[in-house]
Amino acid sequence: YESGSATNYISRNKARKKLSLSLADFRRLCILKGIYPHEPKHKKKVNKGSTAQRTFYLLKDIRFLMHEPIVGKFREYKIFVRKLRKAYGKAEWGTAEKLRGNKPGYKLDHIIKERYPTFIDALRDVDDALSMCFLFSTFPRTGKCHVQTIELCRRLSVEWMNYIITLRSLRKVFLSIKGIYYQAEVLGQTITWLVPYQFAHDHPTDVDYRVMATFTELYTTLLGFINFRLYQTLNLVYPPKLDGKGEGESRAESEEDYAMDSECYMEKLSALSASLVRVVSTAEAEEAELDHFPAEGEDGEKLAERLKARQDQDRQEKLFEGLKFFLNREVPRESLAFVLRCFGAQVSWDKSLCIGSTYDVTDETITHHVVDRPSLEKQYINRYYVQPQWVYDCVNARMLLPVEDYFVGVTLPPHLSPFVEEKEGDYVPPEKLKLLALQKGERPEQEEEEEEEDNDDSEEEEDEDQSHDEDELKGMEEKQALGKASSVKVTPGEAKPVNRQRAEQEAKAEEKRLAVMMMKKRDKYLYDKIMFGKKRSVREANKMSAKRKALDEASKANKKKKLKK
Amino acid sequence: MAAARRHKRVAASQPGFLRLKPDLDHSASRIGHKKRVNKNKKKNWNKYSDIQDVEEFLEDVRLQERATGGLLSDKSDDGLFFVDVGEQKVRPDPGAVEKKGKGLKPLRIDLILQPDSQVPPPKELSSNLLIHVCILAYQQPNARKLRLMAQKAEKLAAMGVLPRRERLLQRRRMPGSKKPVANNDPARAFYDLWRPDRPDTADPYYLEQTKRRLVKKGVTSFLTPPTPTPCWQRPEKLNVKPSLLPAVEVAAPGASYNPDFTSHQALLLEAHETEVAKLKAEEKLARQLAVRKEDLATEESVFREQVEGLIEEEEEKLEAEEDDEGTAVGPTAQTEKKTEKQRKREKADRVKELQKKAERKAIDSRQQLFQLRTISAELRRREQQTSVRRTRRKDQQEREKVQPRRLGKLRFQAPDLDVQLSDELSGSLRTLKPEGSILKDRFKSLQKRNLIEPRERAKFKRKFKVKYVEKREFREIQ
Repeated sequence: YESGSATNYISRNKARKKLSLSLADFRRLCILKGIYPHEPKHKKKVNKGSTAQRTFYLLKDIRFLMHEPIVGKFREYKIFVRKLRKAYGKAEWGTAEKLRGNKPGYKLDHIIKERYPTFIDALRDVDDALSMCFLFSTFPRTGKCHVQTIELCRRLSVEWMNYIITLRSLRKVFLSIKGIYYQAEVLGQTITWLVPYQFAHDHPTDVDYRVMATFTELYTTLLGFINFRLYQTLNLVYPPKLDGKGEGESRAESEEDYAMDSECYMEKLSALSASLVRVVSTAEAEEAELDHFPAEGEDGEKLAERLKARQDQDRQEKLFEGLKFFLNREVPRESLAFVLRCFGAQVSWDKSLCIGSTYDVTDETITHHVVDRPSLEKQYINRYYVQPQWVYDCVNARMLLPVEDYFVGVTLPPHLSPFVEEKEGDYVPPEKLKLLALQKGERPEQEEEEEEEDNDDSEEEEDEDQSHDEDELKGMEEKQALGKASSVKVTPGEAKPVNRQRAEQEAKAEEKRLAVMMMKKRDKYLYDKIMFGKKRSVREANKMSAKRKALDEASKANKKKKLKK
Repeated sequence: MAAARRHKRVAASQPGFLRLKPDLDHSASRIGHKKRVNKNKKKNWNKYSDIQDVEEFLEDVRLQERATGGLLSDKSDDGLFFVDVGEQKVRPDPGAVEKKGKGLKPLRIDLILQPDSQVPPPKELSSNLLIHVCILAYQQPNARKLRLMAQKAEKLAAMGVLPRRERLLQRRRMPGSKKPVANNDPARAFYDLWRPDRPDTADPYYLEQTKRRLVKKGVTSFLTPPTPTPCWQRPEKLNVKPSLLPAVEVAAPGASYNPDFTSHQALLLEAHETEVAKLKAEEKLARQLAVRKEDLATEESVFREQVEGLIEEEEEKLEAEEDDEGTAVGPTAQTEKKTEKQRKREKADRVKELQKKAERKAIDSRQQLFQLRTISAELRRREQQTSVRRTRRKDQQEREKVQPRRLGKLRFQAPDLDVQLSDELSGSLRTLKPEGSILKDRFKSLQKRNLIEPRERAKFKRKFKVKYVEKREFREIQ
């Protein structure tokens, strides 16, 4: 085979032999260098006539791998392991100790630089890295992977969270049954990551831990460099340092009970309650207002739009500014602290719950107390007791929602996914409609609804009233008809007010109808198909809302029954 | 005894010469046979002159140079002798500060292994060349080459470039030096990886040719053809992701911990449908693998099998029939030769046939002039067909970019949808039971995005059978 696709590909085993690596090492190398298997178009041709299923790589990629210095390191490591095994086998503990001291290591810096030539490239690929780091940082330290890796992952994820808090760029949060999805906007890139709930681990057996550990190795390096750069862009000190102001206060006596001195710093950082030290003082940086220049080819409207969006965003960033939260011990502390601090709130918790609490429950200035239990015995009168979902829903709605629906012991409204973008004609759940109305600033409508829900009896009365009205109208019409028949009269003509808008619309509709009539058969077919699809979606949405209505009514009826009982 | 005399003379010419080995007196053994030869022939000079002593002397000189690095007589007494005062304890001076460069001193073992001899290694002579090169004592083999090399080394040393051997020695890590930090060290430091380096002022062509910089792609003019990417440079294709899928796929709105009724129902329906499809596939397989009723043995078939071969008549009849058929169908070879007449007629037929065909063709082509409309319609139809096919193919390609490819023996198996049934849903965050594993989700996502090939966990295979032995003590208790 001297030409054709057979020469462009190489099977995995051959590639492995070419590099003289073991399969595990080869796999690791491929993951680190970002070389993935490739499915050829004509497998039989590539496979030299055989139809056996094989994993293929591009030959050029493998040739490129041969120039990687890490390959040599892998070999060195192999030799190291062999020597160590031998020393242990011969019970030469001194030799083994010496060997352990000279364990060969390697760096991935150059690979990161090579794979992501610019910083933005790296930032685009950070979703994976974040998800993996957050996942690994919650692993139990039971030997499924190195404890050091877990610690590094924890450090990097805490750094990331602190950065997002300082930048205030969190946009969406979604609590799913799997974990919590966050979305943030960093330097114009939308970044989504998934954080598991705490203590939610069963170790699945069908996952290759070695592969995952290799990915994590790469991603921790990547995330570290990205964090460094991001901290630099915000003029923050890296590695992050807590603001010195609170240092004196936070040295409480409980601290010594909580963590060792070596761990204390990291723990305090991960508490997310204090702000970070900047290289340049914040006052200077914030005073400088951005100038607005219209981009080329942009007219005034667009500029205004952009300005408005900017203002909205600013408002959203200061959503919880000035509010003081206290987290009860049963709520997910880290997630809530992260979200609240991202929008400028002050957060604290019980001293015994975690390090870094800044004020007590008894503080009179607390405005919101986040509680997740059916009832609370001792309540302060000057604060709202809300369930944690309120915080997340507020963030997704970009406004402070009414607290009444989220009081302690109240059945919560559904938590809607902020990642769904409804198109025209899709089914929109009524809760979302309510929310949209709220966002537009229509408050009374909701109150009406509440009223409706409160007194169902009045609703029935209304229904009766309506039917009564209809009867009257019918009578009038009959009378009119009779009157017209009896008396024939010529009355002076009245200038009919021409509804110009309506006329315009009609003309447009007519035009459209004619255009449809004039369509070619082929286009007509396509047009019909599109229209049918639209109608179908509308029909489905209607069906869904009808279903929902039926369900609501049924639940209402149930409630009534219960009340009657 | 001329030889002995000469020996003495040579030795005498070396002031204070010391022998390494104790001198052996060879002269005694050689006294007995003395032969008279004419010394007017050059041949006899070579043959009968005794140069043993000179040889021995030179051998000794060489030995001394080789072993002790110079003539013993040249060395000072301090170098040769020392005063034995017994074992001396070296007491470390507490006040003295350790020398800075001490850590960098090469190991003693390396120093010992350094070649001590002043005699350069002899030039290797290939054995097939039957030339005996006579090298005199003062001559050095490869002298010119060595001299040049030494000059070059000196020049390099002046520039600060050490020979490889030295470099290796110095590169050896000292116990005091820093160990390389492990990749997963939680305290490892990071730096600005993407900091713009200082711009190169050198000629770019020079840098590219000396591989100091990668060859830039895309700056090819029409004068210089595009150069293929060298194999030590990352192929451009590798920067394209193998799948268009996003890294983190957000769960459906029905998977919220406190979902909206309709979206939850939609998710349940989806899960239900996948489950039904799976069941259907299983049932289909079971149906196809089930034993057919026709294949089951009935009493009749069993009986027929038992009497197989016992009834002869039917068989013979069948065989006879088969024979008849065979003779009727079989091809017969034509053995008769064609006559001249037959040949001529066949040829004429062939020509006629060809003519007919040509005529037909001409008529058809003429006729096509009147079919222009149909032909153009046909062409249009075909064009339309191709365009439709093209768009379809494009769509298919687009769809395939999102689909997981088949990268190995196994196909990608989509993970089960994570759902909570209506009664499993808990209204509050406190009582929420997380569903599914994120680790598995991430792993499957990697597979789905074609980053790794789907694999099965290697099964544990026992090489030898396990042998169970009852222990004696245990048996006794029983």
